[in-house]
Amino acid sequence: MPDLQRFLARLYTDDALRARFLAQPAAVARECGFDDADAERLATEIDAESLTLAARGYARKRAFNR
Amino acid sequence: MRAGLGWRPEIGAAILAHSDRIDVVEVLAEDFVEATAQQRRALRTLASCIPVVIHATSLGLASTEPVDTAKLDAVARVIGWLQPESWSEHLAFVRAGEIEIGHLAAPPRNDETLEGLMRNVDVARRVTGSLPLLENVATLIDPPFSDYGEAEWLNLVVRATGTRLLLDLHNLHANATNFGFDARGVIASIDHRHIGAIHLAGGRCIEGKRILDDHLHAVPDEVFDLLAMVAANDATVIIERDGNYPPFAELLTELEHARSAAFSGAAVHG
Repeated sequence: MPDLQRFLARLYTDDALRARFLAQPAAVARECGFDDADAERLATEIDAESLTLAARGYARKRAFNR
Repeated sequence: MRAGLGWRPEIGAAILAHSDRIDVVEVLAEDFVEATAQQRRALRTLASCIPVVIHATSLGLASTEPVDTAKLDAVARVIGWLQPESWSEHLAFVRAGEIEIGHLAAPPRNDETLEGLMRNVDVARRVTGSLPLLENVATLIDPPFSDYGEAEWLNLVVRATGTRLLLDLHNLHANATNFGFDARGVIASIDHRHIGAIHLAGGRCIEGKRILDDHLHAVPDEVFDLLAMVAANDATVIIERDGNYPPFAELLTELEHARSAAFSGAAVHG
């Protein structure tokens, strides 16, 4: 399996990747190297609203820290 | 128990002026990694008046990648010159590869994270000379590939690393609200001898009926109720406030409330 924390860090910080993931989660996870089972698990377990809210919070923090 | 506040420049003068009512002060390590000699003297003076503990935020010990040695060395230097009673970090990852997330991210609660955490805590212990307390973090997203629930995870962490917990009761309250579990059940499942310190804070409701742990609001009653349940009669309790500061008397009242809650819990639970 690809590095999960690295994938999550990308999802949290890369707006374009996150938008594509939210539209087609399993497909984007497979594109990032996850096999079918892990891609489906990511698609199932990552709640879209939670991801959006979390990413927004991290973006605010990064802006504040700059 | 001891009740204290997080040191922030905006309330520093008030903390010093009311040191007779503050048992302990928690200092953010990253605020002092580039401290001038004058700032170090000032902080040592503070530590001579009030017991000081250090809280770090930049290490990301719950990472599957090795801890950033430059950041660890910087925290270790602060620990070295300040000689706090203890130091703490979060059960979080903050970076992966070249990506800086910018804040504390809850890691997947699984064995892979646990193995990385064990490695990083061991490195941190060797570099700083002591084990950190480890703090549960608040999160708006439940990390995928989590094989353990919150209580099971915290108990595993304690057993695997030999550390004690910095149990943040507002983080627990926020996660319980955000993901629909029972915070009291988590507290009941933790061996209280493994709780080395406690954080209290306040947050606000955001969309989706979630709680954002922003440290900008008063400690809610639900969190004081959780403190009573911990029965923290010998714990160090720190209230974290990062902005939107109220009149200092309100923070002192929150400290008294914390003392009352801890003692009432101890009386009930023994």
